[in-house]
Amino acid sequence: MTISDILSISFNNLRRNIFRSILTILGVAVGVGALSTMISLGRGVSMNIAKQMETNDLFTGMTVSGRDLDMDHVNSRRSILSPKDEEIVPLTDSTIADLKRMPEVAMVFPEIIKPASIQFRGKKINTNLKAVPCEMGVFHPFDNIKIGTFYKTDSDPCVIISKNVLHQLGFALPNEDIEHISEHSLTVIPVDSVIGQDLDVITTVFDPEKIDLLTSTSKQLPIKNEVTNLKIKGIVETNSFSSGMFSGGIFLPPLTCEWVPCIDLNYVYNLMNDTQDKYGKYASIHVRVKDHSLLKKAKFDIEDKGLHVFSIGDKLDDLERLFYILDSALAAIGIIALLISVFGIVNTLIMAIYERRKEIGIMKSLGATQWQIKQIFYYEAASIGTIGGIVGVIGGKIISEIASNIANHHLGTFIDSNIEYFSYSLSIVGISIVFSIIVSIIASIYPANKASKIDPLDALRRE
Amino acid sequence: MKHNFVIKKLTLLKIQNLSKTYKKGDNKIYALRDISFDVEKGEYVSIVGKSGSGKSTLLNLLGGMDTNAEGAVYYDNRNLLEMKERELSNYRKSVIGMIFQSFNLIPSHTALDNVMLPLIFSSFPRALRRTRACELLYNMGLYNRALHYPSELSGGEAQRVAIARALANKPQIILADEPTGNLDTATSREIIDLLQMFNRKHQITIVMVTHDKETANRVSDKTILLSDGEIIKTTINKPVYNLDDSSTQKPQFNL
Repeated sequence: MTISDILSISFNNLRRNIFRSILTILGVAVGVGALSTMISLGRGVSMNIAKQMETNDLFTGMTVSGRDLDMDHVNSRRSILSPKDEEIVPLTDSTIADLKRMPEVAMVFPEIIKPASIQFRGKKINTNLKAVPCEMGVFHPFDNIKIGTFYKTDSDPCVIISKNVLHQLGFALPNEDIEHISEHSLTVIPVDSVIGQDLDVITTVFDPEKIDLLTSTSKQLPIKNEVTNLKIKGIVETNSFSSGMFSGGIFLPPLTCEWVPCIDLNYVYNLMNDTQDKYGKYASIHVRVKDHSLLKKAKFDIEDKGLHVFSIGDKLDDLERLFYILDSALAAIGIIALLISVFGIVNTLIMAIYERRKEIGIMKSLGATQWQIKQIFYYEAASIGTIGGIVGVIGGKIISEIASNIANHHLGTFIDSNIEYFSYSLSIVGISIVFSIIVSIIASIYPANKASKIDPLDALRRE
Repeated sequence: MKHNFVIKKLTLLKIQNLSKTYKKGDNKIYALRDISFDVEKGEYVSIVGKSGSGKSTLLNLLGGMDTNAEGAVYYDNRNLLEMKERELSNYRKSVIGMIFQSFNLIPSHTALDNVMLPLIFSSFPRALRRTRACELLYNMGLYNRALHYPSELSGGEAQRVAIARALANKPQIILADEPTGNLDTATSREIIDLLQMFNRKHQITIVMVTHDKETANRVSDKTILLSDGEIIKTTINKPVYNLDDSSTQKPQFNL
């Protein structure tokens, strides 16, 4: 008996009770569809988050500080502001020069952040000024500025504002999502009325004229506001995946940032505690490695210098473990759905035994062996598994496309670009179909065994 | 000069002290009791008896369909009652062809597919399978009914399809269980003549169960009369050959 003979007999049997066969196949299709969808969802989510992190340079950037800012210290209630003296390494220009010499490092600059208010077209908000060197123009997120351009020198009297800041000011650009605009009651203004326009940067400085207040009982501080006028050079899109330094605010060249007068709270703190030499000039330094594979080595090397490093990238192992758990949980849901459909196969084949009992008896009287009878049932189940598997994968793909579109429609305002939440690959399709066939054959073992042991004499007696 | 020719008979089946019992309450009922006889090659044996005499039970034991009995049924020096399932399948596939009173054709298969079925199980070359089945149906006068389903055939046609199916693997023995039981007199005669022709012309051994003593005596070499599971009489007949009878149309058959 050749494979084509068995297939021919099996398909003939499936055709005989076509409605029941279709229902069984649909049962398997639902199971396989659920399995493939769940696996692709798990894979899609983990791939998208990893991709987002990678494109946002979370795997290449790290923050170096002279003090241990590890969250464990917070948890253990040790003050992060007053670490033990022996743990502090001052961050100075020589530290930056030292870090720049490392072969893995692509970019090093101090993280200088100044608190400020900005005023634009009569609207005022509080934000931060962040000093970013012009070399950052080739790195994310500044390599993809679609509105305006990034500055060319470290002393340009201009700023790059993030889209979030524009929204906080109550403005939006014409090409933005209409739902988002109406939801947040934003005013749409043309690009020309932003790019090249003046932005008032208001900072707080010491007021020497009010220095007497320090010795009086007045609760007023000897400070005043100073306005600096800077041109808006470009608008950068940042999102929730961007690292802290680049997550939003106003970006300006380092020298320009230096010119903007502002009380340096760090300096005041050091001055009052006489700790300037201890903490150094900078609070933290941003280090960017050439490739994410170099991150771990660079981190170890920097830590060898007694510095402390924080990066999302070295949390990748934890993240991968989390994704593995997510993938496993989703796959388990899919497998359970498929196993439920297996009962349909068992039921169909057992019904077939009762209906075809006499036929099996005739076959055995004609010399069919137990193995040949078993093979007919195995192939029937495998056919159900194959057709159900293919239909399930196609159905799963269609449903996941619809779900993906719906999710993108609703989350589009939160996440900038369209995300494929379901990641189908040839291996998922292959594994789902093969798994469906294997499970179907396993489901047919009991019915096939039962059919092969039918007593031909007993079967032929029944009319 | 006078020559004495001794014709050496070849025994195909040797039945020795075959008994089959079943229990009814505390009583042991004999379906067959101490049956012994031989079936020679080319012999036409009829087993005759009333309903419940054990005819079909005996035939099922000869066909390897039932092995739950005492005694022995030898084929080729091997006891069928001790054979494993696989050996029994091979025996049913290559040694015997079975014909049933109710034809036992598979209703979802065409006549052609029914005839091809034993060829599939015996791994007959796929390319030749259809030709062989068509030849058999043609010889049975059923070529134009090859693609018909059993429900579209008359009783006589269905039984001829069943005979074609039994002959598909060129068996040594045909076991026929009341082959004319569901047929009218004329069709019964046709079927009996067909079986007789196979026996005489092609030396196919036939063991036929029937309740028709007259037909049995007419066509068979040996008639075994069963009653309550016991052989009460074995008659050696001089069968009447109808093969040269030109008054009736006989099928020309090549196996």
